Amino acid sequence: MKHKILTRISCYLNLKETWIIFFILGIIMMNYPFIHIFDTPRLIFGIPALFLYLFMGWMISIYVIYLFVKAIDLADEDKGERS
Amino acid sequence: MLSIQLVAGISLLYIALLFMVAYYADKKQEQGHSIISNPYIYSLSIAVYATSWTFYGSVGRAATTGLDFLLVYLGSSLTAFTWWFLLRKIVRISKENNITSIADFISSRYGKSQWLGAIITVIAMLGIMPYIALQLKAISTTFAIITGNRGIHLILKEGVSLAPPHPGFLAAIFLTIFSIVFGARHLVSSERHEGLVAAIAVESIVKLVAFLTVGIFVTYYLFSGFEDIFSQLSAKDRILYEHLTTLGTPGNISYMSWFSMFFLSMGAIMLLPRQFHILVIENSNEEHIKDAMWRFPAYIFLINIFVVPIAFGGVLISGSCRDADYFVLTLPLSKGHHWLALLAFLGGFSAAAGMVIVESVAISTMFLNHLVMPIIVKLTPRAWFPILLINLKRFGIFLVIFLGYIYYRIVGETYMLSNMGLISFAAAAQFGPALLGGLYWHRGNKSGAVTGLIFGFLIWFYTLLVPSFVKSGWWQSGLLENGPFGIEFLKPTELFGLTGFDIWSNSIFWSMFFNIGAYLACSIILPQDEVEKEQIGKFIDIFEIKKEEESWETKRFSKPVTIMQFVNLMAKFIGENQAHIAIAEYLGDGEIDERGGVSEFELPRLKRFTEKTLAGSLGAAASGAIVESFLSDLGSKMEPVYDIFSTVRAELSESREALSVRLRASGLMNRTIDLSIIMKDLLDLLRNEFKFDLAIIRLKQNNSLLTTVSYSGAEIPAILEREIVPDINTCIGDAYLSNKPRFINNTQHITKMESKELLERERIRSFAHIPIAREGEPPLGILSVFSRSIIGLFTQPFIDLLSSLAGQLAQAVQIDTEMSAKERERQQKERALLENARVAKEMEIARQIQLSLLPAVPPELARVKFAARCVSATQVGGDYYDFFRRGDDLVDIIIADVSGHSVGAAFIMVEARSFLRAKVHSTGSAGKMLATLNELLYEDLTKSELFITMFYVKYNAERQLLSYANAGHNRPFFYRPRDGHCSELDAEGLILGVKREVIFEEKSIQMQRGDMLLLYTDGIIEARNESGDFFGSDRLISIIGKAYNKEPEQVVETILMEVTNFTGSQVAEDDISLVVMKVL
Repeated sequence: MKHKILTRISCYLNLKETWIIFFILGIIMMNYPFIHIFDTPRLIFGIPALFLYLFMGWMISIYVIYLFVKAIDLADEDKGERS
Repeated sequence: MLSIQLVAGISLLYIALLFMVAYYADKKQEQGHSIISNPYIYSLSIAVYATSWTFYGSVGRAATTGLDFLLVYLGSSLTAFTWWFLLRKIVRISKENNITSIADFISSRYGKSQWLGAIITVIAMLGIMPYIALQLKAISTTFAIITGNRGIHLILKEGVSLAPPHPGFLAAIFLTIFSIVFGARHLVSSERHEGLVAAIAVESIVKLVAFLTVGIFVTYYLFSGFEDIFSQLSAKDRILYEHLTTLGTPGNISYMSWFSMFFLSMGAIMLLPRQFHILVIENSNEEHIKDAMWRFPAYIFLINIFVVPIAFGGVLISGSCRDADYFVLTLPLSKGHHWLALLAFLGGFSAAAGMVIVESVAISTMFLNHLVMPIIVKLTPRAWFPILLINLKRFGIFLVIFLGYIYYRIVGETYMLSNMGLISFAAAAQFGPALLGGLYWHRGNKSGAVTGLIFGFLIWFYTLLVPSFVKSGWWQSGLLENGPFGIEFLKPTELFGLTGFDIWSNSIFWSMFFNIGAYLACSIILPQDEVEKEQIGKFIDIFEIKKEEESWETKRFSKPVTIMQFVNLMAKFIGENQAHIAIAEYLGDGEIDERGGVSEFELPRLKRFTEKTLAGSLGAAASGAIVESFLSDLGSKMEPVYDIFSTVRAELSESREALSVRLRASGLMNRTIDLSIIMKDLLDLLRNEFKFDLAIIRLKQNNSLLTTVSYSGAEIPAILEREIVPDINTCIGDAYLSNKPRFINNTQHITKMESKELLERERIRSFAHIPIAREGEPPLGILSVFSRSIIGLFTQPFIDLLSSLAGQLAQAVQIDTEMSAKERERQQKERALLENARVAKEMEIARQIQLSLLPAVPPELARVKFAARCVSATQVGGDYYDFFRRGDDLVDIIIADVSGHSVGAAFIMVEARSFLRAKVHSTGSAGKMLATLNELLYEDLTKSELFITMFYVKYNAERQLLSYANAGHNRPFFYRPRDGHCSELDAEGLILGVKREVIFEEKSIQMQRGDMLLLYTDGIIEARNESGDFFGSDRLISIIGKAYNKEPEQVVETILMEVTNFTGSQVAEDDISLVVMKVL
């Protein structure tokens, strides 16, 4: 299932452009104003909001990087098969 | 509290363990199996980013200012996302160019600038001071904590002890030793230290495990999990809690500070010298980058999970934020878990040691290559250079660490760990614009980079480093409050009146502003030089560089250099062994001619290879300088190639101009078949296109000399009229004998003495001899071109073009030769045919004449009948018979045969006949007749080497008396019916023409009625049939015997018929003549 999603992603979207989108997104989401949203002492699941946001966000971003790495692998395989 | 010996012992043991790992990895690498070449190790080694700042400082920051400690890692995590494009490009470039450090990389991109390398090295050395200081501080402080704050007493002798040294000092000493051991045992030509990388990977695991252990301990053992800690703190000290879990006072300031730190960490992960070293230089495989992209962030994530719990837990347990930096250690210690504390200490120690070792090795490499080498290069290389170099590197390591120590002494107590680290981050960030611009902006140039770096560095120094000195009290000054000389506008922390920024944002903003501004401005305004442009291609377009190495050289050597000279140069710096290995790899199966030199076109490539090899040990800038000085010592400069097509740089394939020349040449060669026109046109074309002063075509003549057949240009008799004997001592002879183009680009350096004098006299500066030959065939001649004004004219593509033109010329010459040969053949055949026809005609005429001389009808006399016939063979014959009537009753009969079948023979016979006719009435007997005839004909017969056989008969019809004489002729047959058999008439006599005076015997015989006489020539009896048998006289005799009573005419017919039947289809070789006489 993941494989299919990945194949679809790498088919429909140009890898480089998607990368740029995510990179800029990363910068934005790690800074103001997103930080501001979570800048409260409220607790979510008993954990401070900012803390949770940063760590969860971070984890998700690592996973996104992981997906990208897999997509690059796929693209390289395709290139290798074609050439 | 643990004992000093225990702690010190464990620490040293740990280092020893790391060293063994390193040693093992190095050994394996030497054997060829790299154990570190896998993505896990690579990712772990990058985690050297996590130093004691991560281990201790994060906790400290989390407990004092809150969540902004995380920024250092968030930024680096995002940067990791760019690695597949950015880092991979950097790695590719660095491998291609044998880059040794970040200073090498940047200076190499900007035209191998030594100044740039030096500036970057200085910035690195000063900028890293705080960072090293923080490691030393961490080690010494935690050591003191774990050992109960006891000082270290050095006991030399009983009772004598030195004052305890500052703890950081010992740490510095030990770290220096460790760094040298790990990274400066010997000069490596590639600057890769596999052992070091392995040790760092182990160290990363140790610190992660240690931190996680402490984290788990605090979170789940001392407390009941995350929520528990948060709720406890929230309950205990709400204000602090809020302060720590949010960003403090709302407003842009915090966000600005947040962003600044974020930005700094984005840069630091790659720009710190140790990071660049591990990421780029130590990278063994580009594929690893892919995995590191997510593994490294994952590591950083893991190591940061428990920072906040530990921080908050520490606050809760210790009751304050004091010494929060060291909560990781103090918490287990205070709870009595000594082994855990020891583990924590080890983790922190490991983190600090790893950082210091890698950083100092990386920076000392830069120190050696960019500060020291430029000085050393000015000196002549000596044998002890390798030893000097390695010791200078060790000195560099010492210098870096002790600069850090000094900073620690000055500033150490004032700042928290993380703040010291940030100062270094800000310094490293100055490399960013130059690096990124160098990678992606074609116009980024050296002046821009230099000015940008200088400005950025100065601002950094002024806004961060100086304040740290002031704040620590080392430099008493009102600088921070009032600005320099009281100018508030220039206060370091609020530069140019920018208030409201924290110290980091202030510094970063202004340093980046001036850095980037100067970089952009100077890059746009000022031009780039040649070397830079070359490097730009190598850096920015590295992924577009095709595999073909053939590119048109833009430079050539003014004086040839041999391979051995290059090898010797390399050996001076990297040792003989390495030099020989390197050159062997380079040569592979390349061409070396008999003299150990390489072709002139190979030299620039060889020079670049030498530079690259040396760069591995000394850095690109230094190696470039070394090779340049070496060459200039030899007297050989890089001269620009004469850009004959003005497109040398443009394409790898042939330029349009070259193609048009080829086209025109083909055109004129096909327009006509006149070779002399072709040659002249071709030479004129060459001269007009390429501005030669003289162009000559020489072809090999039949005497093996090469002579001028066509020329265009200046009349230089000395050259034109030379007839060249192909000889290896002359350039032209060499070209001819070896069937390869020979050229001299600068006649000043020619070695063949013979040619040199001639060329100097005629002021020729460069020339080339191109063999005129078709593929795979020996040369037919030489095309020579001379220039009096241009040197460096002949490049490989140009020689190729001339060779191909010469090849076409060879084709034209060949065709011309073949055509002439065919023409000659045809003419010969024609002549032969004409000749044959003429001869045949002559022969025919002669035959006609000869036949017409024979008597048409035999004479009529009383009581005797004659018949005569001559059947001529295919060629003109020599048979003759005649009747001379000398009266009513007297007749002379002659039969003769001339030797040979030729017109000459026929004419002799005519001459004889004329003589006979003239003499027949005056001379008397047959014998006398023959004698006279012999004498008359003797001269002519001797001259023409012919002979005549003749039989002369005189017949008196009244008295029926026959007298005869014989000159060597066939004896006629005489048949008397009464006798019934044939007899021969014979008389003594030589063939006519043998002797001048001959006496001929004369005989007589009385004829009776019915007698028959047959005179014949040897054509009859020598007639052959198919089986080669002769007709022979017997057959003739038998025919006579049968036909004697017939009329003479019929006898002749019968004989001839018999002969014809006998010979069958065989062609008659000799004339057949018959005279038959019958007495009635």
